[in-house]
Amino acid sequence: MTGTVTTPAHKTPADENRIAGQNNLNGYLVGAIAVFIGALMLAPLVLSFFASIKPSAEASAVPPSYLPHSFSLENYDHVLNFGAGLGTYVGNSLGVAAFTIIFSLVLSVPAGFGLARFNIPYKEVLFVILLTPLMIPYQALLTPLYFMFAKLGLANTLFGLAIVHTILQIPFSVYLMRNAFESVPRELEEAAVIDGCSTFVSFRRVFLPLVFPGMVTVTLFAFIASWNEFLAALIFMNKETSFTVPIMLVSVRIGHFGAVDWGALQAGILISILPCALIYIFLQKYYVSGLLGGAVK
Amino acid sequence: MTFAKRSSAFALALTTSTFLSFSTSFAADLSMWVRASGAGAAQHLVDLWNTGHADKKIAVTVIPDNQMVTKLATGSQAGDVPDLVSFDLIYMPDFMKAGFLTDLTADLKGDPNYAGVAEAYKNIATYDGKIYGAGFTPDVSILVWNKDLFKKAGLDPEKGPTTLAEIHADATKIRALGGDTYGYYFSGACPGCNIFVTSPMMVAAGAKILPAKAGDTPLDGDGVKAVLTEMQAMWKEGLIPASAQADNGASFVSAFMSGNIGIEGSGGFMISLLKEKAPNLNFGVTILPGIKDGQQSAFVGGDVVAIPKGSKQAAVAKEFIHWELTDEVQLEGLAKNNIIPSRPALADNKYFKDEPRVVTTAKALGVGYVPWVFHFNDMVNSDSSPWIQMLQTAIFDGDVDGAIKKARDSMSSIVAQ
Amino acid sequence: MNSSNASRWTGLIYVLPALIFVCAFVLYPFGQLIATSLTSRSLLGGGAFVGLANYEKAFNDSAFWTALGFTARYTLFITPILMGLGLLLAFLVLPNRKIRKVVRGVVFLPVVIGLGTSSFLWYWLFDEQVGLFNKTLVDLGVIAHPIVWFNTANMALWAVIISVTWKVVGFGMILFVAAMQSISSEVVEASLIDGTSYLQRATRIFLPLILRTILLVTLISAIGSMLAFEQLYIMTAGGPRGQTLTTVYLIYQNSFINFKLGYGAALSVILTAIILCGTALQLVLTNRRAHQ
Repeated sequence: MTGTVTTPAHKTPADENRIAGQNNLNGYLVGAIAVFIGALMLAPLVLSFFASIKPSAEASAVPPSYLPHSFSLENYDHVLNFGAGLGTYVGNSLGVAAFTIIFSLVLSVPAGFGLARFNIPYKEVLFVILLTPLMIPYQALLTPLYFMFAKLGLANTLFGLAIVHTILQIPFSVYLMRNAFESVPRELEEAAVIDGCSTFVSFRRVFLPLVFPGMVTVTLFAFIASWNEFLAALIFMNKETSFTVPIMLVSVRIGHFGAVDWGALQAGILISILPCALIYIFLQKYYVSGLLGGAVK
Repeated sequence: MTFAKRSSAFALALTTSTFLSFSTSFAADLSMWVRASGAGAAQHLVDLWNTGHADKKIAVTVIPDNQMVTKLATGSQAGDVPDLVSFDLIYMPDFMKAGFLTDLTADLKGDPNYAGVAEAYKNIATYDGKIYGAGFTPDVSILVWNKDLFKKAGLDPEKGPTTLAEIHADATKIRALGGDTYGYYFSGACPGCNIFVTSPMMVAAGAKILPAKAGDTPLDGDGVKAVLTEMQAMWKEGLIPASAQADNGASFVSAFMSGNIGIEGSGGFMISLLKEKAPNLNFGVTILPGIKDGQQSAFVGGDVVAIPKGSKQAAVAKEFIHWELTDEVQLEGLAKNNIIPSRPALADNKYFKDEPRVVTTAKALGVGYVPWVFHFNDMVNSDSSPWIQMLQTAIFDGDVDGAIKKARDSMSSIVAQ
Repeated sequence: MNSSNASRWTGLIYVLPALIFVCAFVLYPFGQLIATSLTSRSLLGGGAFVGLANYEKAFNDSAFWTALGFTARYTLFITPILMGLGLLLAFLVLPNRKIRKVVRGVVFLPVVIGLGTSSFLWYWLFDEQVGLFNKTLVDLGVIAHPIVWFNTANMALWAVIISVTWKVVGFGMILFVAAMQSISSEVVEASLIDGTSYLQRATRIFLPLILRTILLVTLISAIGSMLAFEQLYIMTAGGPRGQTLTTVYLIYQNSFINFKLGYGAALSVILTAIILCGTALQLVLTNRRAHQ
């Protein structure tokens, strides 16, 4: 299933409603309800944004207000200079995400190719082994991984955390890439063989361009999962200078002597949401198709 | 765009973001981990050191309070430790026993300044006759009261409560002012806050809180029940805001700072913090009382400084510890910033002349206690510890006896391990 | 590609890196986890072989049963809510009209936000002093005074459920929409000619035809809920009285806060066994569909 959420475009709105089982009048009513729900879902983000552009004192005022009375970037300034500085945390998060993306691609693309295109002995068993991270929750593995990384000198490094994040991505990525390679028409491959291409050359020249959308999906999922991951980052990263963005939020909330800087917290929340939201908005197609292909099929 | 171009653009984007992440480390000669709530005080001392020691500067890394112990333990296991560490003194026994710290006996025994360090600090940093750390940024629990609210409620604003019953009576009068004004506050879901401010009232009344070894009775003495009963009554009478029940420490400071709270147990750090953040708040400081007049106690908190095993700069780190105990540093680094020195003899100094409230905290340091126990996290500080469960069950549910019994049982079984 | 012996081994070479990775970072640590669970190892060092003592202890540990019970309760409450709301939303935004597609996108947006981040967001919204969720309820006249959400385990549970529902309800919705849209239009047209009502069509045609998707999403959600940590760590810190500690939270606390690695490992192994049952079922369902 290449699974985009759109059905063929030739249907009229009335058709659409009929398929969905709604007549036109009901359609407007249901449409209005849909808009209301959309507004409800957006409200927390909008309110958080408003709180973030209030002056610091106003953001912590009791009782609170929905809209800012005056505009200020004070909260963003606080986050920018918080602890080791926002740049450090964002840099760490990006670094871990970059490694996670590289590892996920390097491991899952060839594995997907091998599983889809070769009659590997014990293929089913190998496939199930690659899916074990689904069965053994990574939350359970953090202690042994920590000590293993300590021995390997990977504790407290972006590289080490990225390995943990890659574990999370392997089953989904391999599954997705296997499906992508399977959907490449056999004729193309045969043509390549006739042209005298070796396996590796046909992998690179024929297959890779065709599974590119799948690779983008793997990349997006790896990025979002890594950027958002909390527990492993909380345990593995030992120093303020190696915290990722979600762990920075823990510190922002604790603040000094327990006084919560609510405005800075909102600014931090929005900064941590922004990259994922942008990716989703602009690359929705890849993201949703990956979700449908990976989760349900 | 061809595939090759697309993928190289893609690779480029990845590499760029990877490089971004390497631009963050900075050069320093010594590294020091400091827990967040001691960071302000520690920074004063480190700044003072760095101005005089340009060739061996210390870089401070702040670790959130609730992660400090975990990070230090995992760091020690991983062999990835700083050169110096400043952490909650209460964890000294666990860390000394685990062998995570460098033995400083030979160095500190011969240091005349060390002899003058407060007993509580010397005691907590000694294991099997060996010394593993020194007092660094002391803090001690105290009782603060809002003088303006006392005046409004018709109480003597210059006289803080000297018994638990008096706290209760004063809180009743202040609550009678109505509205958002409450008599008493405590962070009802914060185990650490309460061992700091609530346990000393029990100790003042003669109780012993934590068992040092298997066989000791935890929560021993009438003081435990007396304090819980009084607090439960205040809660039931609505003298404490409802939000106190869920406060896991987030409002430990801000509640009193808002000006709506009559009395609260707090720490010495509060004095300089209030002067800075709420200059118009007129408050008094006294020592935490017990049941009878004259009973007083305090929890000696704050941070000790120690050298983790594996420190790459142990010699300079030792030099730093000797340095921070000298008169000049104790006065210019601590007292000048309204922080009590770890050597009580220095409490009488020029900086405290104008601030009698700080002198009160220095006195509290003299009567204060600190429990020398293992498993402090298990018994007290974890989110579901017997200590916090006892407080919540007794105060919010009203089952004082049941709460004490249950906490005794689980503390006993923790120590028996 | 032909299945000559040479090419079979070539295929293996492609799979090998991923295989080694999983063995090194999943299977080997899992072996170590089991080994650790048989010891009294401490984060402060030391520890000895204790056989099954940790498992025995877990069995008699009321904190463990409380945590498991709470996690199960959380899962049992939130899963039907997520499925029900997800389905309702799917029906609501099913037609491919512009506004509905935008709403679809908006409802799905929180899915890409981190659970940690969204928990901080809702921790703020629920705050009794500065929280706007309380203010909205007061302004609408639903409640007279701001509620302290985290005072009791029940209210805290609902606060967490509300926040997580906001964050993940779009996940089910989008998968349900896709499943409904893949139903052939002939089936729907035929039922239209038969003159069935909307409700009949919804319950007799759509729901049965997407049943497997519903089951799968239910499983994925349930497994996720059984592994809940961030939302509780951030919003309730396990309180009041440790009544909202989940299993993962308890493992974290035992291993890293109370230093009991051995006991934490035993709890981890038990949790893995529970999750394994869920994922096995998920894989069976997935495969049945793939082979159809």
